Amino acid sequence: MIEVQHLTKRYGPFTAVDDVSFRVQKGEILGFLGPNGAGKTTTMRVLTGYMPATDGTATVAGFDVFANPVEAKRRIGYLPETPPLYPDMTVREYLTFVAKLKLPKTVSKSERTERIDSAMRKTHVDDMANRHCSRLSKGYKQRVGLAQALLHDPEVLILDEPTAGLDPKQIIETRDLIRGLAGNHTIVLSTHILPEVSQTCNRVVIINKGRVVAVDTPDNLTRQLKGSATLYVQVDASGADAAAALATVPGVRGVSPFDRDDQDGHLGFEITAETDRDVRRDVARVIVDKGWGLLELRPLRMSLEDIFLQLTTDESAKAEETPDAPEASAAVDATNGEVPNA
Amino acid sequence: MRNVLTIAGKELRSYFTSPVGWVVMGFFALLFGYFFFAHLDFFVRRSMQSAMGGGPVNVNQDMIRGVFSNATIIILFLMPMITMRTYAEEKRSGTIELLLTSPVTDIEIVLGKFFGAVGFFVALMGVTMLDMSLVFIFGNPEVMPVLTAYLGLLLMGGAFISLGLFVSSTTKNQVVAGAATFVVLLLLWVISWVGSSFGPNTAAVLSYLSITEHFDDFSKGVIDTKHALYYLSVTAFGLFLTVKSVDTERWRG
Repeated sequence: MIEVQHLTKRYGPFTAVDDVSFRVQKGEILGFLGPNGAGKTTTMRVLTGYMPATDGTATVAGFDVFANPVEAKRRIGYLPETPPLYPDMTVREYLTFVAKLKLPKTVSKSERTERIDSAMRKTHVDDMANRHCSRLSKGYKQRVGLAQALLHDPEVLILDEPTAGLDPKQIIETRDLIRGLAGNHTIVLSTHILPEVSQTCNRVVIINKGRVVAVDTPDNLTRQLKGSATLYVQVDASGADAAAALATVPGVRGVSPFDRDDQDGHLGFEITAETDRDVRRDVARVIVDKGWGLLELRPLRMSLEDIFLQLTTDESAKAEETPDAPEASAAVDATNGEVPNA
Repeated sequence: MRNVLTIAGKELRSYFTSPVGWVVMGFFALLFGYFFFAHLDFFVRRSMQSAMGGGPVNVNQDMIRGVFSNATIIILFLMPMITMRTYAEEKRSGTIELLLTSPVTDIEIVLGKFFGAVGFFVALMGVTMLDMSLVFIFGNPEVMPVLTAYLGLLLMGGAFISLGLFVSSTTKNQVVAGAATFVVLLLLWVISWVGSSFGPNTAAVLSYLSITEHFDDFSKGVIDTKHALYYLSVTAFGLFLTVKSVDTERWRG
């Protein structure tokens, strides 16, 4: 449905997007992940025909966005980073204007009204239909922007940070809406919120400094980067050399101190095990045999956030990032906690 | 064509849903009314002198022509306020992204904005007709010179708008757009003044480029294709520059 090949965009000497290639299948949700200034918005702007690329090709729904921009744009719904609303129009007036521009000229007036109503219902902005856009809250502005993108029922939806500025309830609703749209629509979305990618996207493109760093499913990315399984174990060893004892467990490749609680004498270790070998039982047995207290034992899973940091930071920076990993994953968990069922 | 009308309609509407349109229209009515009154007053005194043995007077020649010639100056001052927001505002607020990613061509967008501003300009002319109708109610002027003068104003307004549109398309800042448009229009206005210092050929060229040189015939009731062509070609040139400017802007991002 979308095919991008060797896309390059330069602004003078600055290369914003450097030789980016990817494909999106029909009905898929592709997540675009990257730090600020990575080239996400630029790539999206090229895809939507807002700006031409310096080099490379982009095809949307079978139409080259450079050679045949009007046909390609007919099949794209685009929500830019800032929703493009006219402050002095009401929501209904605004959507009517957009509908006149985007819907085929054969669509009758009553059908146009119907489409506008349905887009407003889908995005839950129908209660604000007669409010001026300038008087809408950020969340409503964002959703009117989404309604605008959905209006002509495009085959491809390109959403630049669709959940930015929404409250948790609206985020859930928007994600549900986006997931519901997949299948009939092909969706490319960019985001800073990492759990969003694992929750809504089928595939992730991680982009950094204009280059694609990784393209895969969220699960595969997690697995692939997890060369070996790691465990976190916390013991009350009352001063004994727990690390040495743990290292003797068959299958354990390394033990490194993770954290310690001097007051209680509790020690935390990160245990690296051989891939595809579950060492949890043996680790537990060793600790219990020694008569120590086993306080905690859990797998250390790499969150998408860790992968993101690992892929987008330099080698030297990576070493510094690693100790922060559990905090980062805790942050992700906390976000997950806030948004149940998401 | 439908797209052009849709965009023109939106542009025209935006003049009346924001204070800008009403303010411009109000000031225009005020200034035009003042000049109209001044000329009327002067004409009434001339007529009385004429009745007491002065030369003959003609309401078209001695009053209406002066009013229109002054109207061109008001338009010169107010036009930047009409065109300055066209592109600059959309670029600042990001709504230009909606237009540029909609299935419409750049030319349709430029023409839509152009005709939207022309529509507002026509509304301004409509206001002047209130004053003009008084002359027709209480006097007996010829209709043709008034109509040709309006045609001249419309052609001149179109030329001004296309240049203003171009200037607005080069910046995100409305104030810069307004100021720069004013400078461009004023320079075109006075460009012939220095002509004679550069020799007769340059003087002829500069005089041809001057916007004012072309209006006079219209207010006399003469439609000269040479002058109409001048305004139309300036308009076309301004629109061409705008389309190119929007296109380069895309490349530069």
